[in-house]
This record gives sequence, structure tokens and C-alpha cells, in this order.
Amino acid sequence: MDLPNRPCLLAFCRRAPRFEEAFRAELRALGAPLFAFAPGSGTVFGADDEPRDIGPHPELWRIHGAGRAALTVVLLDEKQRVRLRRDAPEAEGTLLAAVREAGRAVCAAPRGIGRRELLLNSLAAALGAAVLQACASARPVDDRKAVSGAPALLEVSLVVNGQRRRLQVEPRLVLLDALRENLGLTGAKKGCDMGQCGACTVIVDGQRVNSCLKLVAQLEGARVTTIEGLVQGGQLHPMQEAFLREDAFQCGYCTPGQILSAIALLQEGKPRDDDEIREGMSGNLCRCGAYPNIVAAIRGVAGRA
Amino acid sequence: MRLFTFQRAASVDEAIASGAGAAFLAGGTNLVDLMKIEVLNPERVLDVSRLDLAKIELREGALQIGALASNTAVAEHGDVRRAAPGLSEALLSGASPQLRNAATVGGNLLQRTRCAYYRDLGTRCNKREAGSGCDALDGWTRMHAILGVSDKCIAAHPSDMCVALYALDATVRVRGPAGEREIPIGELHLLPGDHPEREFSLQPAELITGVRVPIDALAARSRYVKVRDRQSYAFALASCAAAVQVEGGAVQAARFALGGVGTKPWRVPEAERSMQGRPATRETFARAAEIALRGATPRRDNAFKVELAKRTAVRGLMLSAGALS
Repeated sequence: MDLPNRPCLLAFCRRAPRFEEAFRAELRALGAPLFAFAPGSGTVFGADDEPRDIGPHPELWRIHGAGRAALTVVLLDEKQRVRLRRDAPEAEGTLLAAVREAGRAVCAAPRGIGRRELLLNSLAAALGAAVLQACASARPVDDRKAVSGAPALLEVSLVVNGQRRRLQVEPRLVLLDALRENLGLTGAKKGCDMGQCGACTVIVDGQRVNSCLKLVAQLEGARVTTIEGLVQGGQLHPMQEAFLREDAFQCGYCTPGQILSAIALLQEGKPRDDDEIREGMSGNLCRCGAYPNIVAAIRGVAGRA
Repeated sequence: MRLFTFQRAASVDEAIASGAGAAFLAGGTNLVDLMKIEVLNPERVLDVSRLDLAKIELREGALQIGALASNTAVAEHGDVRRAAPGLSEALLSGASPQLRNAATVGGNLLQRTRCAYYRDLGTRCNKREAGSGCDALDGWTRMHAILGVSDKCIAAHPSDMCVALYALDATVRVRGPAGEREIPIGELHLLPGDHPEREFSLQPAELITGVRVPIDALAARSRYVKVRDRQSYAFALASCAAAVQVEGGAVQAARFALGGVGTKPWRVPEAERSMQGRPATRETFARAAEIALRGATPRRDNAFKVELAKRTAVRGLMLSAGALS
């Protein structure tokens, strides 16, 4: 069985779901085929066709690390690259909600140049939101029995903002996603997700790093500080105060990373002038261009330290 | 990212014993990045980041730098700054503080190219997929190499640290199933030739354990000059690690390596010899630079690199010779 050269959805369900008519109606709005797999079966839903039996696909199952959760949803683009991959604790309802949300996103997407990329992004956002919603409303999963082929979970214990947190993680999980999605700490931001923009900067064992490039599996025992851990006794950190005072941001997306990076910069040694501040902050991009005020904020704190 | 199994190595011996077919993972700044975009897809990842290989010391006339020393730790180390300032400068000119805190010496030695075609699964790349073709050849080549290229690959070598280590005549220490050996750094990186997918002279399961940098009067004079599209946090268009020793106005000894222009850091012994005994002047250095760039084969967008590399070399040599402030 070959996957098509256009965007498609994959759903891996631990138990074969029953697809009611309501579900198929939602699928038609989506305009992208859905390949639904269970350990012993596989079905493809085209936009118009009747569902077709294609049999199980252990290879795809393995590649996408399915089987650990009740449902794993994967969105592939036309080159079969993974655009989104999410686990959910419940299959049928979540998949229905996800497909419904995705269908709405597709209908709402404007026509014209760049529509394909826009569609993919809307699909990914809608699917992600629907699955997160399902995770939030579901009870914690106690059925941890994974089917064969699912990745072994690793136990990792971290100290995040002074609190010990135990996580069971897939080897692929990076610190940024663990903070945002497993621990609910959304202060660290996902910008480029490839170690270039610095929006995900956090402090690990006293050193600033890009959390998007750190596998959690490597961090047993590590101490992590995020923007949420800076407030002491209801008081903002002096660097946070300085960013407010100097108006050192516009949209604010890069700000948590800027602030943590700036705090680490001063811990590393006092920058002697603005050039050294700029060089030391070169790993944190600000697309609003708030740089002059960011430098002013850091200069202010450095001067008082 | 494709799925993989993850294991932690408790010792160097354990890493080597189970290293065949696995990717060694240390800082992750290069490997995790490339795994995310599915350019590298190891089925097994062996975490070596906790091994006891992070020491930096001056011993037996050489800087002995452990493979797991971070770029920051090496760059800021007092002995390194004193005995091989060019190495410190090269490291500090690369990446960002966040990346340097995580990146290790061992990983940096094996840093993969930033060729945009290598990183884009939608294009053909002989390095990523042997024999598939190269879309860079007729593509946008501004960032590509002009030296050491082949008709299969023109990807530039990205590391600043390696350029300095070439000029410093460093040796790479590795351990593998067959024991320990030392590789002169110039032999670690392979030219693309007909097989750009073969990048290193390492054997399966061989682990880099450290680097030895011989320390002498020349190393103490080493400097690093980097020219790029912006002041900071960018890959080199051209760079030069240079070490020149001058006595009575004449060049006693000189070494230099170029970055940003070769498929590996570029060192030309003949260019270095040409300076021997000559006055430490711009003319002497320009002649050496001229020799170093012989055989350069620029493409549509990177012809400017020929002149830029020469001037960068001259600047590096002048700086090291004390002829510039």
C-alpha cells in the first residue's frame, strides 16, 4: 500500500474503531484521505469513496511509534513528511472531533496563492487543538499496556523551577515540548524549533540552552528554570522589571527566551558595553526589532548588579 | 522525527561495545536538529553525554581537550586562551551562547554541512542519499565551497573550531573495538570526491574521546578572523585561522587554514612554506593567499569568495604577525 502524494491523515487506534455515518460526513468536508489502522486492520477513507479495506500496516505503525496511546494521529504533507503527530487517550470521540475541527479549518482557509501550505498549517493547528482538548477532558490513562512495536517509555526525573517532576517519555520528546505539553509550562516558546531563534531558551543546570534541541531522555536529574520560575515571593525578577520598564518587547513572543538568556548572560560575567550585550544576546532573535530596548533593559540590570 | 531506541552508555567501553549501527549523542545541537528534519534517521541513539570525557588540561606540551568539553568550556578556559587564542576565538565566533553551552568538541568535529540542499528532503543530495544527484550544482550557491569540490558535491564545511584545529596541527583521539588510535585532524574529514556520503575516516563504533593540540610559540600567536553576512551568529562566508611567528621582521614559521570556502577546512602546505624567511608584510601574505586559493572553482553565486578568502587570509596572517592592531 502506498501513501498518496498529497496531504493525508493517519490514525492509529489501539482498538479498531467503528466509523459511524456522522464520521464519514465529517471526512468528506476534510478533502484529505484518512488512513485508519488498528493492530489487525486498516481502512482508507477517501473524500467520496466508500471506505476501502487495505489491511494492517506494521511498518507505518512502527515508524510513527503508535500503540502506546489509544490513538495516535499523524498529519503528512504531500512529500509524506510528518507535520503533526499527537497521542490521545481515547480514540473514536477524539478522532471525530479532530476531523470535524480540521474540516472547519479547511472550509475557512482562504483561496489563492499559498493555499496548500496554509491548508496544511490550518489542518495541523486544528488537529492539534482537538487532540489537546480530548487529552484535557480525559481521565489520566492508567492502561499503560502498549502493543508490540510501540516505543519503550523512559522514566526521567527533572527538577523544574524547584519542583521535582517525574515523566514517562518517548525517546523523541524534547525539553521544549515536555515543558509546554506535559507540564503545562507554556512560557518557553516554540519559534523555529531548530535551535536558531532562541525563543525556547531555558536554563538547564545553570546554563542557557535551546530547549527545542534537548532530548528529555538525556536530562535525568537536571535542574531546569523557565520564565515561570523567576517570580520570588510575588516579586518579578529584576530582569522582568527591567523589560517592563524599558518597553523591551512588542508582541512578546521572544520575551521569555530573551529574559532567561539575559539573566544567564549576567551570570556568565558582566558585559562591558552594549556591543558585548548584543554579542551575548545574538542567539535570541526578535522579529519586532525591540533590540535597542532589550539592550537598554540588560544594561540597566547589569549596571545595578 | 523518526522513532528510535534510546540507550545511555555508562562507560566509554560500553559505548564502543554497543556503538555499531548507533548514533552517538552528546550535546544534540547538530544531531537532534538533523533528526528533527529527518535528514539523519538513526534507529538507535546512544547517549554518551555523561561519560567522563570533559576535561581540559595542559599536559606534555599539549592542550588535551576531552571530546565532551562544551564549546563554551573550551573557549573560556584560561589555558586555551593563553596557549591557543585562535581556538578560543574560533569557538566564540560560532553559533550562539545557548548552542555553545550544549555543543561539544566531539560533536563539532563531526558537524554536518549547512548546505541548504542537504537539509531539504525535497531536493536531491548525494551526501544525504548516495547517488541521488546534487541540486546545489545548478542551484543557489552563494554559501557553497570553492575548494575541494567535486561534480557530486560542493557543500561547504561549517565548523569554525575545525579551521582553528587544522591551523594548530591538532590530533583527534578515537577509541573503537580495535583499540585506541590518533588521527591527524586533516585526515578526519574526507573530500567529497565520488562519495560525498562518506564524510569521516572513522570506523564503525569508533568514538572520539578527545583532541590534542600541540602548544608552542606559534600556537600562542594563533588568531581567527571570520567574515559573514552579519556581525554575529552566522556561518562563515570566509574565515582564516592563522599563526605566524616573526623574528627580526622575517617570517620564521607560519601556518594557516581557511574556512567557509572548502568542502573541508583548507590548508595548503606550499602556501605556508612560501612565507618562510620572507618579510612579514602584506605582499608576503598575499602571495601565500594566492597559492592557497589555486584551483578554486567558483560557481554562479560564489565567485566573490575567491577574493574574499584571499583578503581574509591576509587579514588573519597580518593579525597574527602583529602587523595589525
